[in-house]
Amino acid sequence: MKYSRLPLALMTVLILALGAYAEAHHSAFLGKLNLNSLLIQAMPLVLVSLGQACALLVGGFDVSVAALMTMCVVTASFTLTPTTSGVALVPGSLALVGVGLATGVFNAFLIRVLRLPSIVATLGTLSILEGASLLLRSFPEGPVNTDVTSALISGVSFVPYAFVGVVLLAVVADVWLYRTRTGLALRAVGLDATSSRRLGMATGRTILLAFVLCSVMASIAGFYLAAEVQIGSPIIGNQALESIAAAVLGGASLAGGKGSFFGTLLAALFLTEISNVLPLFQQPTEYADMTIGALVLLALVLYQSPELVARIRAARRRPPAVPAEAPAG
Amino acid sequence: MSTSGPSGAVVLSLRGVSKAFGAVQALRDVSVDCHAGEIHALVGENGSGKSTLLGIASGSVAPDEGAVEIGGSRLRRASPAEARRLGLGIAYQDYSHVLDLTVAENLFLAAAGARPPYSRMAGWAEETLAPFELGIPVGATARSLSLAERQLLEVVKTLLTHPKVLLLDEPTTALGPDAVEKFHSLVLQQARAGVAVVYVSHRLPEVLSVADRVTVLRDGVGQGTFPADSVSEENLVALMIGRPLEVAFPERRPEDAPAEIVLSVEGLHGERFGPIDLSVRKGEIVGIAGAEGNGQIQFLRALAGVERAAGRASCDGRSLDMSSPLGPLRQGVVLLSGDRRGEALFPVLSVRANATVQVLRRLARLGVVGRRRERRSIDGLVKALRVRMGSVEQPIASLSGGNQQKVSLMRPFLRGDVKVILAEEPTQGVDVGARFDIYEALRGKAAEGVAAVVKSSDPIELAGLCDRVLVMSRGRFVEEIPAHELGERRIVEAIVGSRGTVAIAEGRPA
Repeated sequence: MKYSRLPLALMTVLILALGAYAEAHHSAFLGKLNLNSLLIQAMPLVLVSLGQACALLVGGFDVSVAALMTMCVVTASFTLTPTTSGVALVPGSLALVGVGLATGVFNAFLIRVLRLPSIVATLGTLSILEGASLLLRSFPEGPVNTDVTSALISGVSFVPYAFVGVVLLAVVADVWLYRTRTGLALRAVGLDATSSRRLGMATGRTILLAFVLCSVMASIAGFYLAAEVQIGSPIIGNQALESIAAAVLGGASLAGGKGSFFGTLLAALFLTEISNVLPLFQQPTEYADMTIGALVLLALVLYQSPELVARIRAARRRPPAVPAEAPAG
Repeated sequence: MSTSGPSGAVVLSLRGVSKAFGAVQALRDVSVDCHAGEIHALVGENGSGKSTLLGIASGSVAPDEGAVEIGGSRLRRASPAEARRLGLGIAYQDYSHVLDLTVAENLFLAAAGARPPYSRMAGWAEETLAPFELGIPVGATARSLSLAERQLLEVVKTLLTHPKVLLLDEPTTALGPDAVEKFHSLVLQQARAGVAVVYVSHRLPEVLSVADRVTVLRDGVGQGTFPADSVSEENLVALMIGRPLEVAFPERRPEDAPAEIVLSVEGLHGERFGPIDLSVRKGEIVGIAGAEGNGQIQFLRALAGVERAAGRASCDGRSLDMSSPLGPLRQGVVLLSGDRRGEALFPVLSVRANATVQVLRRLARLGVVGRRRERRSIDGLVKALRVRMGSVEQPIASLSGGNQQKVSLMRPFLRGDVKVILAEEPTQGVDVGARFDIYEALRGKAAEGVAAVVKSSDPIELAGLCDRVLVMSRGRFVEEIPAHELGERRIVEAIVGSRGTVAIAEGRPA
């Protein structure tokens, strides 16, 4: 199976086109200040989408990521307070990752051991985390340590270091996925778990790992969400659906086994760009949701067009011609 | 066991293996030894436990009792990966290809320890495939291969790990005679190199021509292991059937009773069968026999518009629109699917709802279905078919398999306009008592002029129920057995002896 470049090309074109349009009508867009805020704004979605791509690759969904990110913000308001300093910040940060790790293991348990469909399992986790967040912070309170948040968004010129980091991560992950044996094995598990198991692959462990990775990425995204809201807010965003949208726009198949981390990154960037641009034109942000929805549908149709065309052809095609008489055996 | 056993070391040993699936005992205390360098055939009827035995040997099914040893080491848990590590290779009947990946990628995944660096995959795959002379492009996706190519690729994949034990589950179902011969020389070559080969097949002449020893299974019980040159096909068939199962059957229609043709099929062909010509008269029950996977199911489903096919069919003189299930249904051609849970029934709905689902329009007044009218319509049928249950409001999933099947039979009975019933395994999972009720119901419907085509893997059932039986092999009818010749033995012989005269199209789909 080849690495599809269509999503990368489409996302690049869309990012540039929207950027050019925005700049033509509003010179503030390409200013360093706005570009910097765009990249920082994109970090939570980029990180959680990369994690979501893992879940999609093994043929699952994780809809609990948004609740997990919120839970991490709430946790940060306890473990990374303005009075926390020095060495104490390390366990404080580890607490967030720990929440992610625990959630990932819990999800993987529901999916692998109890055999629940991932969408149902993570929906349950979502509610549990949502309730827990509200229990800990029934309204936004508890500021988050600004040393931490400013370190997270520090960078050179308008580019945060962390953004350079995720770009490298996505590229390396794609090379791994399409140029190595273990990457191929992961895709095989996503495409056909039964055959993979028959070929001696550790399908259970692969799926487990994908969901744990997804949650851990969401908890790291939680750091950036905390940097953005700066306070222990129990209000949940819609990053769950946006992250699935980003992975799909980036080339992931909902049936598993296909996808691109770099494509996902570009798509997450583009989705953030939409919500960044709309206020410049005094447009309500509701348009962003509608645009994203329409784009996802468009991408699903477009990326699958080779398969769709093949299916339409197959439906039209008559079954194989009458076999010629072979000599009696 | 055999007295003149082969000399090689025992490399696969199954000891006292038992396995039950729910209430069905698939295997009971079966022991088999397989020596290095021998070709060991495993034969038995459909459902005799062959596939379960292979599943246990290869680590994909956990036995309830008994032990598996591969190359002298015990298989400690049911894990295909573990069995592979111990030196076992298996070619699955339904393959282990990842269809969206290329042939090269599939080979690479299957090669385990023997694979080159990822970057050299394509060249390595070419070299690996070349000696087998299959002419398969390594860059094509597995999906684009023909069934015969997929089957051969499956075997090639198992050889990549250089197994000590090679299990082949029905490896020739999609192969033409030439390909079978070529395949056999490959198997012999492996055996000469010291590999123990377990060869499962329905085709007795085929396996007997290559096997050293034969183990027979019947109803999950081993019937013994014999040197292949000491047993005849007839002996084997006797061992494969031979069960003293008494089932009563309703009386057939007289063999030469005149009746007009109601279902007529001309040159129907699809992915796994054809071309097929068939005429069925009113009141006639025609059986379709054959080893599993020879296109029987596909043919039946194509007639019902569930699977795609080309060719012509007509019902009662009107051409049958088979492009969707709706066409045949409207013309009174009804399929009783063998997949009751998946396709025929709504498990959580009541018996009543399951029975009347196709005729609700008739039972409704102003669009509202009258509960009492609905119940009255099925009361008589419940009695006639002897459906055993607490109440008609019970969810159908809580009924036994036989009673579930009776309820799905109520559908064609409720519709007054049924002309042809296509029944796929009508008594699978049904106890003996309920079987008779089902046979009687089908025969009763036939007496009203309805025609039935029954696909069954049970030769006793076909022999007792049908007016004639057609034997299918490699997608075609190869033999027709008239009523006066019908018997279990006759059918089984026709199935195991039938060497298809034609190969299924081996070309790649366009």
